[in-house]
Amino acid sequence: MKTLAVALAAALTLQVTAGVAQEKITVKGSDTMVILAQRWAEKYMSKTSGVTIQVTGGGSGTGISALINGTTDICNASRPMKPSEREKLKVRYGSLGVEIKVARDGLSVYVHESSPITELSIAQLKAIYTGQITNWKDVGGRDERIIVYGRENNSGTYVYFKDNVLEGDDYTPSMQSMPGTAAVVNAVAKDKAGIGYGGAAYGRGIREIKVKRDAGSTAYPPNAETIKNGTYPISRFLYMYVKTRPAGAVKEYIDWILSDEGQRVVNEVGYFPVR
Amino acid sequence: MMKRVILLTLLAAGLFSMTATAQDPAPVTREQLEEVKGALDGLNESFAEYRGFVDALRKIKISGYLQTQFRSTDLINAPWSIGNFSGGAFPVNAKNLFQVRRGRIKFNYDNTLTQFVIQADFINTGFSLKDAYAAVTDPWYRTFGVQAGVFDRPFGYEISLSSSNRETPERSRLFQTLFPGERDLGAKIIVVPQTGILTNLRLDIGLFNGVGPNANEVDNFKDLAGHLAYQIPFEEANAELDLGVSGYLGNVRSASRNIYAMADPGTGVKRFVVDSTATNLSMGVERTYIGFDAQLYLNVLPFGGTILRGEYVAGKQPGTLGSNASLQAAVTGDIAKRSFNGYYAYLVQNFGSHDQVVLKYDVLTPNTDVTVADFRTGTNLTVADIAFTTLGLGYIHYLDDNVKVVVYYELIANQKLDPSLLAVSSALFPYTSDVRDNVLTVRMQYKF
Repeated sequence: MKTLAVALAAALTLQVTAGVAQEKITVKGSDTMVILAQRWAEKYMSKTSGVTIQVTGGGSGTGISALINGTTDICNASRPMKPSEREKLKVRYGSLGVEIKVARDGLSVYVHESSPITELSIAQLKAIYTGQITNWKDVGGRDERIIVYGRENNSGTYVYFKDNVLEGDDYTPSMQSMPGTAAVVNAVAKDKAGIGYGGAAYGRGIREIKVKRDAGSTAYPPNAETIKNGTYPISRFLYMYVKTRPAGAVKEYIDWILSDEGQRVVNEVGYFPVR
Repeated sequence: MMKRVILLTLLAAGLFSMTATAQDPAPVTREQLEEVKGALDGLNESFAEYRGFVDALRKIKISGYLQTQFRSTDLINAPWSIGNFSGGAFPVNAKNLFQVRRGRIKFNYDNTLTQFVIQADFINTGFSLKDAYAAVTDPWYRTFGVQAGVFDRPFGYEISLSSSNRETPERSRLFQTLFPGERDLGAKIIVVPQTGILTNLRLDIGLFNGVGPNANEVDNFKDLAGHLAYQIPFEEANAELDLGVSGYLGNVRSASRNIYAMADPGTGVKRFVVDSTATNLSMGVERTYIGFDAQLYLNVLPFGGTILRGEYVAGKQPGTLGSNASLQAAVTGDIAKRSFNGYYAYLVQNFGSHDQVVLKYDVLTPNTDVTVADFRTGTNLTVADIAFTTLGLGYIHYLDDNVKVVVYYELIANQKLDPSLLAVSSALFPYTSDVRDNVLTVRMQYKF
């Protein structure tokens, strides 16, 4: 009888434990999206009991590798998955991966607040970032050497800028690679000859310049209107990727992110909603 | 690391300056500021130099994998060879063994548009070079590429599916027979359109020595191999169908005037008949294959994705009377010509992120001109003319992103010959029933 009571107690304990078991969702990837992802997680956890969401950065490439290796449930990426990455996912899991557009972002170009530069064309940015233009006077600035700041190569922002501004060409070897967009902003804020790029959410404390598609076009600043209507030339989607069709807690979380409440967080952080 | 050093230095300088201010209210002089600025410039210079060095190192990618395994079969010292297509023949007096099947290390210097790759295999029985090639992509369209050296022949799908990613321990009997070692020395052109309706297309076509990766060229013939692949994604359904067609056009130099081919010498029974025309010496004996492959990726089941793969190859294969495998060195004896066909089909089902089940069936009919009735006493047909099927069942568990464990059992069945047509003493007589040659493989793989 005593044994039975102990067994019942143990079973009850197990049931109680199971009843309060935390569902854990891991999110890894884009540094650009890390603040947005943290806000989403905080807000969602505060309103949903039994779910723990762990958010880490590391860069889009790192997040996609983690997704392929099975060490994260959701990958944040500030660029679309490359065909080679999709191929790995396909061969390993038989799935192409599920892409969810969760926000829109304009990639801002920053200069020091004292810089006379107010706008640059895509061609000028390319020339600066590939090392063909090395002095500010060549683009209408002061006679001083341009100090180029960018992101590390595991970052989706690095890849996006390389593909869409540098048209695939290599960055100048003199570019100083920073571990996050916040670090780029800090570096440019302290460097009168500096130029950097990064997500709009990080663009405080320095001056964002206008960008034009080519020399004859109108230059646009990165704001809600120009990014949403596509006139600002360096805008992109921000993505979440999951290996297979989302289900359970992961699906509920993604559905919430795409809901009005989740998309309000996008606005609060400084990005632009997709719906 | 260098960044940390700089940050720490700046922090220390800041702290020092704060401490100095607290103890000595005298303002910092311009000279002192210049001194600090000079020190910072010096650090920046060192950092730039260090960064250049690190960036160069980043282009070098080192990867590798080790497959260590235990294999077991049904019978010890069987009069037939066991395990040839299951990781190597079992040695005399052993029906189970431990082995290092593959111990690969690969160095890839990736300079975006140019690549240098070298891969070696270190196993318990020795060392061999696997890949050694240079590749260049056109800088304008990034659509055309050239690759030269030793690398996988562009034919079919299973050849290029890395052993570290493949769910089964070995490739099918069909491909191990046609392309032993998978690789060859040669050069190929790669076409991968980046825009337009041809974006999902890939063409690999090249010329090769034709003797595999381990020998120098032995004749003046070069073999042409190519694979054209097209991917059809169904984004809404999270599915994709990949289709491919392959061709191989080659020749093997005959080292004698005797060339064997299948014929009925008027007895109603087919056998190899020799053609001893004097001009046969040094002539090229045709080696031609055509292949079709398809892979279907489906993500419809709630517990994980499904992969279906299939491939069919048919053609003409020059071998010897005793072997249907592609020749990997200069031929010294007489060549025997065979028409063959073969295929395989895989079903891979994922269960969550860590578990997979695989079912594979492969068939090789090495001589399509013979029937069971042709295997009889006095024939010059050999075991190389018998058809084999292999049914493989496996379970794969991914422990983490580096380690996976594979348990795989192969049920190998031979074509059953007619015992009433063969003498008991014939080397073919054991094949009147299914010989005992099934193989169990338990493998652990570490990949980085």
